[in-house]
Amino acid sequence: MIQQQPAKKKRKVLVPRVENGIERMVEIEVEDEGGPSWGPNNAHKLLNHHLVRVDGPVKVTGIAAYTYDRHLPGMLYGRILRSPHAHARVVRVDTSQAQRMPGVRAIVNLAERGNYVVRFMGDPVAAVAATTPEIAEDAIRAIKVEYEELPHVVRADEAIKPDAPKVFPEGNLEEKERRGDLAKVEAELARCDVIVEAEYRTPTHHHACLETHGHVVDYRGGDRAVIYASTQGTFTILSDAAKELGLPQSAVVSIVEHMGGGFGSKFGIGIEGKLACQLAKQARAPVKLMLTRKDEFLLAGNGPGSWQRFKAGATRDGTLVALRATQYQMGGLGDGSLAGQPYIYTARHFYRERIAVHTHEDAARAMRAPGHPQASFAIESLMDELAYKLGMDPLEFRKKNLRDPVYHRQLDRGAREIGWQRRPKEPGTGRGMGCAVGTWGGGGAPQCKVTVQIARDGTVGVAVGTQDIGTGTRTFTRAIVAEELGLNIRDVVERIGDSRLGAANASGGSTTAASLAPAVKDAAYNARMQMAQVIAPLLGAKPEELQFADGKVSSGGKSLTWRQACAALPLAGITAQGEWKANLAASGVHGVCFAEVEVDMETGHVRPIKMVHVQDVGLPLNRLAIESQLIGGMIQSLSMALLEGRVMDARLGVQLNPHFGDYKLAGTFEIPEMIPIIDDEDPRQAVIGVGEPAHIPGGSAIANAVFNACGVRVRELPITPDKILQGLAEQRRRA
Amino acid sequence: MTDRRRGEKTDAVDPGRRRFLKGVGLAGASAAIIDLIEPEMARAETPKDSVQPSPDGTLEITLLVNGQRRTARVEPRTTLLTALREYLDPPVTGPKLVCDMGTCGACTVLLDDAPAYACLVLAVDAIGKKITTAEGLGTPDRMNPVQRAFVEKDALMCGFCTPGFVTAISALLRKNPRPTLEEIREACQGNFCRCGTYPRVFEAALMASAASDRAEE
Repeated sequence: MIQQQPAKKKRKVLVPRVENGIERMVEIEVEDEGGPSWGPNNAHKLLNHHLVRVDGPVKVTGIAAYTYDRHLPGMLYGRILRSPHAHARVVRVDTSQAQRMPGVRAIVNLAERGNYVVRFMGDPVAAVAATTPEIAEDAIRAIKVEYEELPHVVRADEAIKPDAPKVFPEGNLEEKERRGDLAKVEAELARCDVIVEAEYRTPTHHHACLETHGHVVDYRGGDRAVIYASTQGTFTILSDAAKELGLPQSAVVSIVEHMGGGFGSKFGIGIEGKLACQLAKQARAPVKLMLTRKDEFLLAGNGPGSWQRFKAGATRDGTLVALRATQYQMGGLGDGSLAGQPYIYTARHFYRERIAVHTHEDAARAMRAPGHPQASFAIESLMDELAYKLGMDPLEFRKKNLRDPVYHRQLDRGAREIGWQRRPKEPGTGRGMGCAVGTWGGGGAPQCKVTVQIARDGTVGVAVGTQDIGTGTRTFTRAIVAEELGLNIRDVVERIGDSRLGAANASGGSTTAASLAPAVKDAAYNARMQMAQVIAPLLGAKPEELQFADGKVSSGGKSLTWRQACAALPLAGITAQGEWKANLAASGVHGVCFAEVEVDMETGHVRPIKMVHVQDVGLPLNRLAIESQLIGGMIQSLSMALLEGRVMDARLGVQLNPHFGDYKLAGTFEIPEMIPIIDDEDPRQAVIGVGEPAHIPGGSAIANAVFNACGVRVRELPITPDKILQGLAEQRRRA
Repeated sequence: MTDRRRGEKTDAVDPGRRRFLKGVGLAGASAAIIDLIEPEMARAETPKDSVQPSPDGTLEITLLVNGQRRTARVEPRTTLLTALREYLDPPVTGPKLVCDMGTCGACTVLLDDAPAYACLVLAVDAIGKKITTAEGLGTPDRMNPVQRAFVEKDALMCGFCTPGFVTAISALLRKNPRPTLEEIREACQGNFCRCGTYPRVFEAALMASAASDRAEE
């Protein structure tokens, strides 16, 4: 391939530079290697505009094919038998009756080899595949299991006691981090003008993806298999599926055409995917095994709870001087996660210990901004308590202890938008406002391989194995290619969600856009360069002089329509590859949220009135989808602040609310006015992910607004009416 | 709420589409929010005619789905949702199975034009009723005004709840072409969206309502 490189020249780029703990953007000159760059954020034809989602029409008409919707000839239905106990040894599994049932084609007994211990309510014991969903359900009920119950512990308060039942032989506590000089912090605390000592708790949350975890394993014996998966990572399916089926990984294909939500819980095939493969292998027939809603609550992961104890001190002028923090992260059998305190704030002296507490509960998984909403709720509540004790405006107190000027800018913007000056100075009016701050990385990495093809009839395709988890990946992928070639978004067709296409990273940690978009841009740029080589002589121009805009290729007053230009391409058209380019992505975002709520002082009911989220995102690929994500993040935050939480029965060790009837999600009547604001003062001409940051400060802002409204500080989520009424009763007793 | 939708017999209070159309006349008909795919068809005469029991306890039933007669062999306990999604071949998968207990609204279909949770209706109880799913409201090339507004306003992210919302809002606008925001909230208070698209759903419903207003003028 002959590709003319433009002469080397210098160009200016903005890069972050940290000086004295403050990140600033500085302009530096770099050698221009002639590769792609996004150019100024305000000079795009398609990107940074409101682009309608390209997969909208198939989704609103019900024909989008999700994994749950797959239907294959001869397909069987899989179901999982779960443990009803939190901790037990499986003594005997009797599948004989199930085996005799007409329609049952395969049974997997996980306890077959003996000495099988279940360690949480919901832990899988067996699975069946049958010709109909109803028969599979009957077969599960026909399996008789004898358990020998073992001691369990499902509450952190009990798990930390020395005589608690042991979850692991090494014990229930696992130190994750210890940092700072405790003696120094204690000495500084003794000198502070104002001290707050408090503890804050957040419960276990559920991702509650509407499409449950699951797979359709298309395997009929033989040497190939196709796995349809509801996953956040097309390429996270292959190795485990191949292993379970006894096939080489290259013989397995995974398909994720559309998927119904993940929020951090859907990486890898999980136990449900392994069981689906084992059932398919046994039956030599395709198996659809989608978790039931109850399965989903019990065995498909959760967002870890937290329990954080603080002692903090500030001086009269509003300086956070010292903080002592004990942070427990409650991930059940897993580690959980918790951002270290004082999180985004600057404390001159801090000491923190971060400890995982294990219980007999399903292992926590990543959940939208792992460890951040929990850390945010605790530190933002604490900062508010300090501010009120000092008699300072909580906004000013925050600014005093945030060194990064971006936060100051965003706080001022949010305050204007919500009308912070209207906020009651004294709590107790029944209406109030709160604010909070967050941060996230959200950068990219060289993981995607993208192909752009231009055919002689003018059709353009872009292909990569990535998945769209609802964030608009399909749309920006198309838009980047269309913009580069001067076309409309409908002129490009994207193919994604197939492991036979180019490699791509999993959608976790807000890294999809920052990893994928640069590779798409690079592929489109390379396609344009190749095309320019062919077309330039026809226009009597040099390749680098060609303009691709408005459906035309032109130079010096002469132009060809896109179709005319493409007709001049070789028979095979153009195929160009693209890879990640560091200059096209960035990482590190801020973000602030403001909330206004009304509290009914008679019933304790909280009604959100307005929320505002201000977010920097570098180059906004699609403003419409980003604003939707900011709204969605605010809604999940308010849902967690006011409604959500797993409820465990300590004595029985079981979850009491494993369904949408009792695990409350925000619905249409909880939704306030919502203002998503993209912070366009962010000068970075590079892509950053926005999924997680949208979900960090919102719940804390609601909690602080509740205090401002009613004077009750609820230190344990969710903020339910009973807790507010209890607080109001205490207020009256003290008065 | 659950009960609001469960097996509601609405002909007495809700004029139904055909009578509604007669009432508003032809001009109104073109403007109303109507199914785009809905050929006139005779109702199955009686349930008896369309049930063929067999010795293994399964029944062959005929359902009227999106204007087509569809036959499937189901069990008496098979829900309408499972019949549509797993027993018809090819299946009708617009209505989603999410909670299977009437708490989330993702399986909302129209039964004789009234919204119902298909997970709470037995397939045999849907015999003889006109069943409309999101697929029956429009196609990507011919979306109904609600579907168009959902796309336009970005009232979907992962999209798994979307057919349920589209169906509930379409039913609302058919009954109440100019709903208030409160009426829109109420019409889909039984629908959950985990991605958090509610404000966009409200905007889309208002847009679709305004679109039908404009068409009438």
